[in-house]
Amino acid sequence: MAEFLQQLINGISLGSVYALVALGYTMVYGIVRLINFAHGDVYMVGAFAGYFAIKTFKLPFFAALVAAMAVCAILGVIMERIAYKPLRNAPRVAALMTAVGLSMFYQNFTIYRIGAQPKAFPKIAQVNWQFAGVTVSNSQVLILGTAIALMIILHFVVQHTKMGKAMRAVSQDRDAAMLMGINVDNTISFTFAIGSALAAAGGVLVGQYYGVVQPLMGALPGLKAFVAAVLGGIGIIPGAMIGGLILGVAEAGVSAVGFSTYRDAVAFGILILILIVKPAGILGKNVREKV
Amino acid sequence: MRAMDKNRLIVAAGAVALGIILQLLIWNGTLNAYYAQVLTMMSIFVIMATSLNLINGITGQFSLGHAGFAAVGGYFSAIITTRLQLPLPAPMIFTISLLVGGLIAALAGFLIGLPTLRLKGDYLAIATLGFGEIIRVLFLNWKYVGAAAGMWGIPGYTNFIWAYMLAVLTVIFIVHFMNSSHGRACISIREDEIAAETMGINTTKYKVMAFTFGAFFAGVGGAVLGHLIRLLHPATFSMTFSVEILLMVVLGGLGSITGSISAAILLTFVSEALRKFNELRMVIYALMLIGIMLFRPQGLFGRKEFSLDLLTDSRFMFKSSKNRGA
Amino acid sequence: MPILETKQLIKTFGGLTAVSEFDIYLNKGELIGLIGPNGAGKTTAFNMLTGVYQPTSGQINFLDESVVGKYPYEITQKGIARTFQNIRLFKDLSVIDNVKIAYHQNVNYSVLDSILQTRKYRQEEKEITEKALEFLKIFKLDHKSQEYAKNLPYGEQRRLEIARALATKPKLVLLDEPAAGMNPQETQELLGLIKWIREYFDLTILLIEHDMSLVMNVCERIYVLDYGKIIAHGTPQEIKINPRVIEAYLGEEVPVC
Repeated sequence: MAEFLQQLINGISLGSVYALVALGYTMVYGIVRLINFAHGDVYMVGAFAGYFAIKTFKLPFFAALVAAMAVCAILGVIMERIAYKPLRNAPRVAALMTAVGLSMFYQNFTIYRIGAQPKAFPKIAQVNWQFAGVTVSNSQVLILGTAIALMIILHFVVQHTKMGKAMRAVSQDRDAAMLMGINVDNTISFTFAIGSALAAAGGVLVGQYYGVVQPLMGALPGLKAFVAAVLGGIGIIPGAMIGGLILGVAEAGVSAVGFSTYRDAVAFGILILILIVKPAGILGKNVREKV
Repeated sequence: MRAMDKNRLIVAAGAVALGIILQLLIWNGTLNAYYAQVLTMMSIFVIMATSLNLINGITGQFSLGHAGFAAVGGYFSAIITTRLQLPLPAPMIFTISLLVGGLIAALAGFLIGLPTLRLKGDYLAIATLGFGEIIRVLFLNWKYVGAAAGMWGIPGYTNFIWAYMLAVLTVIFIVHFMNSSHGRACISIREDEIAAETMGINTTKYKVMAFTFGAFFAGVGGAVLGHLIRLLHPATFSMTFSVEILLMVVLGGLGSITGSISAAILLTFVSEALRKFNELRMVIYALMLIGIMLFRPQGLFGRKEFSLDLLTDSRFMFKSSKNRGA
Repeated sequence: MPILETKQLIKTFGGLTAVSEFDIYLNKGELIGLIGPNGAGKTTAFNMLTGVYQPTSGQINFLDESVVGKYPYEITQKGIARTFQNIRLFKDLSVIDNVKIAYHQNVNYSVLDSILQTRKYRQEEKEITEKALEFLKIFKLDHKSQEYAKNLPYGEQRRLEIARALATKPKLVLLDEPAAGMNPQETQELLGLIKWIREYFDLTILLIEHDMSLVMNVCERIYVLDYGKIIAHGTPQEIKINPRVIEAYLGEEVPVC
């Protein structure tokens, strides 16, 4: 029982990071129908930004977190303006290939500038709390707390601000939103900024949790975060959170019963199952093509 | 009709002549071992790209799982050549291993295609990507084929002429398929699935068929690759590999076989030419990819085929593949 | 003996009932109109008849055989063809390939025959090409056989879609607002074509229109659909004076021509 609870806690902290990254995927997909394959690498860039903020600029952890989010928000906007905006009306596979190209670029440029070797991320002083045979570390609490706080902020922004309303409108119908006087370009940029900032937060939190950052760290978590987004229902913000948590707990569970080498397959196994049973995801509505 | 037959004869004779000339140049040493290897890689990527085009370009089903099928083909063919002591001459063993690798990959394609091909667009892409990753993780855990250490000691059966012949056979297969009523059924699914169904076409059957054939050739390609590099490792068949092949298909133009062939040759060449930049190589490659997509999102050839009419009919640079049967 | 008959056909989407009490019959050789205001459920009914949607409940019998639960391709192979409200041609294919695809169900050569390009393959392909060209000639599209379908003018695209549907050798054709977007002269030509194909191909035709005036002249019988229900059925003369029809169409611009 204690073992189960322990894995549940590990799973939830891992899952909340997936959820943070998944939010960016889901928001971008919701608004421009693009699987932004470079999103996982934005998460990596965010982790490195946090690393340099602490190491080079000697910022305290939370300041570094905010700095990394700001850097990635700007990066997200630049990325959208240069690489995706010109392709909005092109065949969708072209935008997808561009996303893959960007992903390759981030990874290899980081390797070129910083090196492929993992870097030790400065950890905050470790504190463990024990109760009922379960260990909870302060970095787990930090991850969960930060993730929840960011999600609450996001929820507020999307539901209660003018920009949030514009985002929802553009994701419903871009042309209609434009006719209503919404600046679609700015709205899309804003979405990329928020999504990238959340990914950066995820990167810094994970860097802090595992104590290492490296250029390819975003590839697999990026894919899994995407799985989380699809699982919850792509384009649906609460869906990304649910999907992330389910995925994190499932992975921790599989590791716990001794199949840790199959961990990566689990995420995709769940993905395929959900796609076959309910393609629109847990919270999604099935839509059918109008004939 | 006559002119078409004549053109096809020219193309066939050209393909045979090219193979013979290149092989002679390799034998007499004009092309050294390195160039022979690059030419072999080009042929392998032609197999991979044209077979993915059958799924993505011709049938319009977005697959991102080609690496998975290549892995299945590669590993199972290597099991034949390394784990079984068949008392047969090497070329026969290799042929058998290619067939087995291809057929098991095709079986995997069939089994994966049946449930997933109900999905459309992005969802299908993600599902196939997921299957590709699952296949990779399964090999990573399969001790019989070396698990995470990789599968070593695979005989180097692959040489240029094997790869070249297989590439030519693959292209012939796919072009002939495309120009038949069965191929037209696949194309109609790409164009408009609902209309295709009301034309009496069993869309599920043809989607699964295209997927299975595509997986077969991906398996053969993986088998040829395995017996070239003589080492199989699950990491070789990651999503990046699928993406590289997809890039060739997109760059050449979805649905254009000549486009896929040209892009496979071009990108293999570029990738080799960039080797001297060492660490910057992949950075340049990535920037090129982004640049190409920004300036030519429909690929080099669009959906058109490059044809010999370029020489015989100066009015048209490119001829639509769809007009061929007429 | 009706060629097609539906009984208590119902289709609901979630909680919304799109079609209910849809009971019609078509006798062999008839030209029947299905009219109704926009959103009355006409296209939904078509989609059920052709297997694109599965009915929530009810029966559809075609040639004394239930076609409920059959795939659209199976229904086409049994002999029901259709066109679409928004033209669904294979836009990036040539005109002749659009027709050739409709011949697919009659092709006998196998995949292996095509790969090896056997005699059987070449023979049949030659026949298909010839037949398709002949067919295009009937519809005066043969001179454009190599054009992309998307490059045809609108009226010719409509004609090609009808030609393509007929190439599947149907016994019953469902035409979904074939005159949509046409000017009066094009519409007259189209009506002429519809009357003519019925004779020439020995067809039964069900025609959707939301503009009543159009079907009055050509159809033998008319069904009127409103809010998913058949509210009237009869000859054009009867329909014209039916109070429920007039009520349903009140507010529409041209009730009767």
